[in-house]
Amino acid sequence: MASETSITTSAAETVPWRAALARHRTKALILLVAVVALAFPAVNGNAGDIDAVANALAFAALALGLNIVVGFAGLLDLGYAAFFAIGAYTYGILASWQLTPAWSSFWAPFAWLDLVQKVTQGNAAVVHFTLSFWIALPLSAAIAAFFGILFGAPTLRLRGDYLAIVTLGFGEIVPIVVRNWSSLTNGAAGLNGVAPPQLFGQSFGVEIVPYYYVAIGIVALLIFVSGRLRDSRIGRAWMALRDDAVAASTAGVDLTRYKLLAFAMGAAFAGMTGTFYIAKLQTATPDMFMFPVSVMILVMIVLGGLGSVWGVVVGAIFLQLLQSWFLPAISSWLHIVGNLIGSPWLQQIQLADAIELIFGIVLVLMMLYRRDGLIPAHRKQGALSFEQQNAQVGESHGFRMSGIVREDSSSVPALEIKGVTVRFGGLVALKSVDITVPAGGVVAVIGPNGSGKSTLFNVITGLTSAESGSIRLFGEEIIGLGPHKIAKKGIARTFQNLRLFTNLTVMDNVLIGQHARLSTGPLGAVLRLPGVRAEERRARERVMEIIGNFGNRLAPRANQNVAALSYANRRRVEISRALASDPRILLLDEPTAGMNPAETFELAQQIKDLHKLGLTVIVIEHKLDVVVRLADTVVVLDHGEKIAEGRPDEVRRNEEVLRAYLGRNAQAGSAGIAA
Amino acid sequence: MSPTALFVQQVINGLSLGGMYALLALGFTLIYGILELINFAHFSVFLWGSFIGMWTLEAFGLNGQSVVLTGLPLIGVLVAAFVASMLFCGILGVVIERYSLRPLRNVTGPMAMITTIGVSYILFNVILLGAGADTKNFPNPLPELRFHILGATLDLRVILIWIVSGALMLGLWFFVQRSRLGKAMRATAQDPDAARMMGVDVDRVILIAFFAGSALAGAAGLIFGLYYNFTSYIIGYTAGLRAFTAAVLGGIGNVPGAMLGGLIIGLIESLGGQFIAVKWTDVIIFSILVLVLVFRPTGLLGTLAPSKS
Repeated sequence: MASETSITTSAAETVPWRAALARHRTKALILLVAVVALAFPAVNGNAGDIDAVANALAFAALALGLNIVVGFAGLLDLGYAAFFAIGAYTYGILASWQLTPAWSSFWAPFAWLDLVQKVTQGNAAVVHFTLSFWIALPLSAAIAAFFGILFGAPTLRLRGDYLAIVTLGFGEIVPIVVRNWSSLTNGAAGLNGVAPPQLFGQSFGVEIVPYYYVAIGIVALLIFVSGRLRDSRIGRAWMALRDDAVAASTAGVDLTRYKLLAFAMGAAFAGMTGTFYIAKLQTATPDMFMFPVSVMILVMIVLGGLGSVWGVVVGAIFLQLLQSWFLPAISSWLHIVGNLIGSPWLQQIQLADAIELIFGIVLVLMMLYRRDGLIPAHRKQGALSFEQQNAQVGESHGFRMSGIVREDSSSVPALEIKGVTVRFGGLVALKSVDITVPAGGVVAVIGPNGSGKSTLFNVITGLTSAESGSIRLFGEEIIGLGPHKIAKKGIARTFQNLRLFTNLTVMDNVLIGQHARLSTGPLGAVLRLPGVRAEERRARERVMEIIGNFGNRLAPRANQNVAALSYANRRRVEISRALASDPRILLLDEPTAGMNPAETFELAQQIKDLHKLGLTVIVIEHKLDVVVRLADTVVVLDHGEKIAEGRPDEVRRNEEVLRAYLGRNAQAGSAGIAA
Repeated sequence: MSPTALFVQQVINGLSLGGMYALLALGFTLIYGILELINFAHFSVFLWGSFIGMWTLEAFGLNGQSVVLTGLPLIGVLVAAFVASMLFCGILGVVIERYSLRPLRNVTGPMAMITTIGVSYILFNVILLGAGADTKNFPNPLPELRFHILGATLDLRVILIWIVSGALMLGLWFFVQRSRLGKAMRATAQDPDAARMMGVDVDRVILIAFFAGSALAGAAGLIFGLYYNFTSYIIGYTAGLRAFTAAVLGGIGNVPGAMLGGLIIGLIESLGGQFIAVKWTDVIIFSILVLVLVFRPTGLLGTLAPSKS
C-alpha cells in the first residue's frame, strides 16, 4: 500500500495533460468538421444534395434547441414545433404581401427604417412589409422565446409529465390557430411569396448555396451557445434540476426561473430556425409544424444523445439524410433486386414511407438499450489507478475552510423557531415546536423514527410549508420563502437519503452548491468575458479547497461521476455541496448514516472542526456517541412534539426521553439511550 | 330543427361520444394511477381496437352498411366484435407493458413516456403501412330504428353505445371496488412498496391494469367505428388527446373522474361544434386542459397531489 499522502498532487499532475490531449483532439475534430462542412458545396455541386444537407442543418438547429429543454433541463416538450411555426410566421408575415394595411403617416418611420415600403396599388397606397431576414433572425428568436415563457409559465408548478401534455396541447393549438386565422396567415393554403434574404443588395433567390452557408452559420452559432451554456453556472443549474429538483432548490437554484429560461432558450433556437426555414422555402403552411415534426425532433435528440450537443447534431443530420438520401437509395437498390428476382412487391417498395415506423423503432430501442444515445453527453471517466484507489487517507489535520464567518453569539440567535406546526392532512407532523439555536452552536435533534425530525428540516429549508409559527434566521423571518431564497440567505442542508445529482461529477455537484453565490447570467455564460472566467476559476478553486478537507477521498475523484463513488464518499460530496454555499447555518440530516465506526469518527471530528471555525450546525443523528461528542444542546422530538431539550447528559437521563425510545415500561435507571 | 331539438340532439350525440371518451380515459387513468405514466401507446391501442373490430365484422360477411341484421345474429356478431377487439387490445397492452415498459420501471425522467410515444408510432404505422391511408368504410349491421325525443332523433346505434359503455364502466367500477384484485390495484396505486410488502404481486397488478385499460380502449375503438361509420389510421391521435383531457379534467388516477370527464368532453365537443364552430373544438378542449392543470391540477374529483415527489 502506498504510504504517500501526496496522491492528490500526483493526480493533479496527470489530469492536465490528459485534459490537454482531449482538448486538442476535440479542437482537431471540430476543425475537420468545419472544413468538410464549408467545402461540401464546392465538392458536390448537386443542388439537390446541397438542399438536402441545408434542410438537415435546419433540423440540427431545432434539435439543439430541444436538447436544451429535454436534454439539459429534463423537461419533456412535445409541442416544440409550435415555436418553429411562430418563428417561421414571424418572418413570413413581415416579409411578404400577406398583410397590406392602408398607408398612413404612422408607417413613415418604419419605412425610413426599411421595415416597410409604401406601394401604390391602383389608387390606394398600401404598406408592404419588408423586414430584413437578418433582423428577423434575432427578432423571431425573441418572439418565440416570449411564447416559450408564456406557454411554459402555467405548467411549471406541475409535474414534468403534465408539462409534456400541456406542451402537446399548445403544439396542437398553434397550427389550428394558424389554419383558422386566415387573414393573418392565409390559412391552410399557406403563406406565399415570402421574400428571400438579401446580402449586400443581392437577393439569395432560389440559389441554394447561400442558404447552405447561412444554415452552417446558424448551426455553428447554436452549437457554440449550447456548449457555453452547458459548461456554465446556467447549464449546471439546468442539469441539477433535471437530476433532482428538490436538491437543486435547496442548493439555491430557482426552479421556476431556470425552467422558464430553458423553455425560452429552446424556443428561441426554434424561432430563429423557423425564420431560416421559411426564407429558404419562401412558403409556409400549417402542416409543416404539426405534432409529427415535434416527435421527429425528439427522435433526433434521443438518437444522438439527450444532453449531448454534438450528439443531437449528428442525430438530426443522420435522420434527415436517412429520409432524403439513404432510404430512397436503398429503395432503388431493392427495386433492382426486385426486377432481378421478379418480385413486384420489392419493385415498388418505398422505404421512405416507413420513416415514422423507423422513428418509433428508434425511440423504443434507444430507450430500452442505449438511453444515452449514440454520442453520450457524459463521457466515461477513466478509472482511478491502483495507487489512487488504495491511497491511504492522510491523518485529518483539522477542517480548514475560509469564508466561515464567526457570528456574534451574544446578539440574536442564529435560528429561532417558534410555535411551528406542520400538518399533512390529519397527521400532525410538528406540533407547535420551539427551538432556539444560538449563533455558533451545535444543536442535535434526536427522536424515534417518524417523530418529525426530517419534517423540521424541510420546514426550515422551505420544502414544506408550515401551518403556523415563525422561523427567524438571525432575526429575519424566513417562513414563506422558497427553498432557493432560504438557501441564498444562508441555510444549507444535506438529506437523509442522499440527494446528489447523479449524472454529474463531484466537481459539478459541489459547484452547484455555490449557485446562489455566483452571478453569471445566460449572456455572460455565452460570452465568457474575463469576469465570468475569473468567477468560474474561483468557484472551482473553492470546490477543491472544500473537498480537499476530506484528504484524498474526494480530490482525486473530482472529475468522476458521483454515481461511481462509495456511499460514504457520496455523503461527503453532499456535505461539501452544502458547505460550498457559504452557509451561516448547516443542517445535517443523519450525516453518518451508513458509515462504519472509523468513518463516523472521522466525520464527527470534521463537523466538530467546522463548529470550531464558528459555523452554526443543526444535526439529526441516531448515533448517540456522535451526538454527545458534537452537540451543546440536544432537542428530542416525539410524535411531532418537543419532549425534552438540554445538555446531552441531561437528556440522556430524562425519563420521558427514555420512554419515547425504550417504551413505557423501561426502567428509568437502565442502560440509557446510548446503549 | 328548433334550437331545443338541436340542443337535445347534441346532448344525445355528446353522451355517445362521452361514453367513448370515458372508456378511453379510463385506460389513461388506471395506468397513471399506478405508474404515474402518461401512456401514449394508448392512442394506438384504441386505433387497433377500431381496426380489429372492423375486420371481425367483415369476417362475418358484413360490408359497409349494406347488410342489416336483427335479433340473435345481430347480438352474436356484435358480441364477437367487442370480444375480439377487447381481447386483442388487452393482450396488446400486456405485451407493451411487459416488453417495453417494465424494463424502464425504475428509470427516472421522461424515459418511459418517450418509449410509449415510440410504441404508439410503431403501432399506428403498422396500420398505416398495412391497411393504407384511405378512410375505411366501417361495417354497421344495425337496423334503422329511431325514436324521437323533443324533435331530436335517438337511434339504435346511440342506445347500443350507451348500453355497452355504461355496462363496461359499471363492470370496471365493480372490479376496482369489489374484487380482491381491484383492492390490490387500489393499494398499489396508493403505495406500491407498501402493497408489495403486504404480499401484493405488483407486477401482476400492473399487467392487469394494462389489460383492463387496453381492453376498454379496444371497445372504444369499435364504438368509434360504429358511431361514425368510418375508421382510419389517424383516429387515435385526436380521440386519444381528447380522452386524456377527459382523464385530467375528472382527476387523473380517479376512476369515476375519468367517466365524468369523458362525458363532459363529449358534450363539449358536440355542443361546442354545434354552437361555436367545429374548427375551434380542439382549441376549446386544450384550453380546458391547460386551465384545469393550472387552476385545479387534481381535476374535478381527484385528490391526488399534483406533485408528490
